[in-house]
Amino acid sequence: MTGDEPAIAVRGVSKRYWKLDEQAMLLKSLLPFWRPKRSEMWALRGINVDVGRGETIGLLGRNGAGKTSLLRLLAGVSQPTEGTVRVVGRIAPLISVGVGFNREMSGRENVYLNGMLLGLNKEEIEARFDDIVAFAEIPDYIDTPVKFYSSGMFTRLGFAIAIHVDPQILLVDEVLAVGDIAFQLKCFDRMRAIQSSGTTIVIVSHSMHAIRLLCPRALVMRRGELVFDGECEEAIAMHHALLSSPDEVHNTGEDIVVMERRLEGPQGLSNSVDPGDALRYTARLRFNKAVKSPQVFFNVLTESGIAAYSCFTPIGKEWRDVAAGDEVNVAVDFRCSLVGGTYRMGLLITDTKGVDFLMQDSSGMLVYVSPSILGTSGISELEGRIAVDGEERTHDAFLHESLSLLDDADVAD
Amino acid sequence: MRVTAEPTVLELDDRPVKRGAWFGDLWAHRDVFVIMSKAGFQSTYKRSSLGIIWAVAVPLLQALVITVVFAKLIQIGSGREFGLFVLSGIGPWSYFSGVLGQGATAIVDGTGMTDKVWFPRALLPGVPLMVNLPPFLITLGVLAVSQPILGGSFGLRMLWFIPAGALLIAFSGALVLALSALHVYFRDVRFLVQAALIVWFYVTPIAYPASRAGTLRPFFDFNPVTGIVGLFRNAVMSGGGENMRALTVSLAATFVLLVVGLEAQRRYDRLFVDLL
Repeated sequence: MTGDEPAIAVRGVSKRYWKLDEQAMLLKSLLPFWRPKRSEMWALRGINVDVGRGETIGLLGRNGAGKTSLLRLLAGVSQPTEGTVRVVGRIAPLISVGVGFNREMSGRENVYLNGMLLGLNKEEIEARFDDIVAFAEIPDYIDTPVKFYSSGMFTRLGFAIAIHVDPQILLVDEVLAVGDIAFQLKCFDRMRAIQSSGTTIVIVSHSMHAIRLLCPRALVMRRGELVFDGECEEAIAMHHALLSSPDEVHNTGEDIVVMERRLEGPQGLSNSVDPGDALRYTARLRFNKAVKSPQVFFNVLTESGIAAYSCFTPIGKEWRDVAAGDEVNVAVDFRCSLVGGTYRMGLLITDTKGVDFLMQDSSGMLVYVSPSILGTSGISELEGRIAVDGEERTHDAFLHESLSLLDDADVAD
Repeated sequence: MRVTAEPTVLELDDRPVKRGAWFGDLWAHRDVFVIMSKAGFQSTYKRSSLGIIWAVAVPLLQALVITVVFAKLIQIGSGREFGLFVLSGIGPWSYFSGVLGQGATAIVDGTGMTDKVWFPRALLPGVPLMVNLPPFLITLGVLAVSQPILGGSFGLRMLWFIPAGALLIAFSGALVLALSALHVYFRDVRFLVQAALIVWFYVTPIAYPASRAGTLRPFFDFNPVTGIVGLFRNAVMSGGGENMRALTVSLAATFVLLVVGLEAQRRYDRLFVDLL
């Protein structure tokens, strides 16, 4: 056992999938002239990554970027088309719904089934059983068939099993956003404990909070390629910039095209900003059709599509006609009074009365607002601080504690 | 105990895992196989209203109907001994068709388990071999107990059940290993198997002896199940079927399918998931 051997070594890995245009049929394949119509799809191309023992990395990228394909290779479920994967240590995948839960079996039996699938033997599961049940908060239902479980109980049990396996390698795919807030915090604490115990962790999450708090290092993937490998904040900014880059955006209306859009903050151009920042959004629009007195709306939506803010030009007022072929620059200055999270910012162009939508930059630009303090949710950053009997109870202390924990982990490397 | 100080190492490239390592993995996952079989047993019998009784009652009823219909209407064989003939055929056939029905699609049906955590996929088609065993053994018990009533007698002859059972399990297992791999790519295998089972039943000497098959006779002789059913007959009645040719076909088919099935499972083990 050499101390500096990486826990995960991915060398020149590519993965090809065959996409069948129609489902292959044995009967048809017996016909002499039949050939399956198939096209190849490269989910991963030339990936090189080393993850050191005890390191935690985040994996970012939009859907279809290859995150899940890479995770499958690390879990040993799939094999690469080119290159090599080497993972040293017991691997546990942590997924939103328990691995291979049998709905007819009781919670107890499923703990054994799951534990064994994750590589434990009977004695090891017995030793951990009480902890698992306690963590999942389902002691009264452990002998009930899991088909009667609520989705929350299901997920809690799945999570509880996976983290009690004591894996050397933990693969986390979109699970940190499960359960209620209290359970999420508990999972978070547990993740930190696992982290400090020297487990190597790979996290795929769309929750930037989770990535930011747990991963000092993050990878950004795009169309099967690794485009960034480095410091977490930079990776998050890069990820959001990629999500907003024009070639990834489909414009619905062709009468007006967004040529360029940018967001400028105190630190210059960036898709990652802080609450309270004075920001300037600019967009260059090209009109392919003449429009009389168009109106401009600037919309901010939450990640789930809820309107967070909108401002617009005076509706109904005639002011200027735009000729076909003209380019128009729009600038919006605003203060970022948003709570931490990911937001979409984009323009809507309407006719003079604000009735006909001429162009909606619906995918817009994705902007990540770093949470100023933990323990906030909603849309507006109201900078509230809670005190109980005069004692301030905010998450600041909690955050400092976790950051120092991460620093310790760095030193241990 | 599988816990060792040595860390487990996963190494993957574009080639299939080596034979030795793959069989080692299979062996290392024997506990998983046992618990998966328990799970399969539970979802098949435990929670349904009549459970295992139902799984035994169906083939017995089937044997009764065939005996009555074929004996009276088609005037084949006579009375009790024909009952023994049919029952000794239905028992293994029910097991075989049960295993095939569940096992041929097992890898695709197990998708929920396969895309996050690895275990040898060959375990999945293996589970129905275990799940269908209890009702099969009970049917054999019924067959053994009812022998005197049906005109047979107890004897050392019944030891034939052991090689007969072993060959039945081996052939069923070999076939589902191959078919379940094929089904991942060709999804019509599910329907082809169902259709084939209907035809297969009538070209196997279950409801009537091969001697009454007429022009269908070659299908009987080159049908691997014929030899297996023959062995079961040997256990309960004399002159049941010492057909060496049929037995040779059974053994050869089992061997070939086992080699093909295991090789397909090893080669595509980590590629199945790409097509699910």
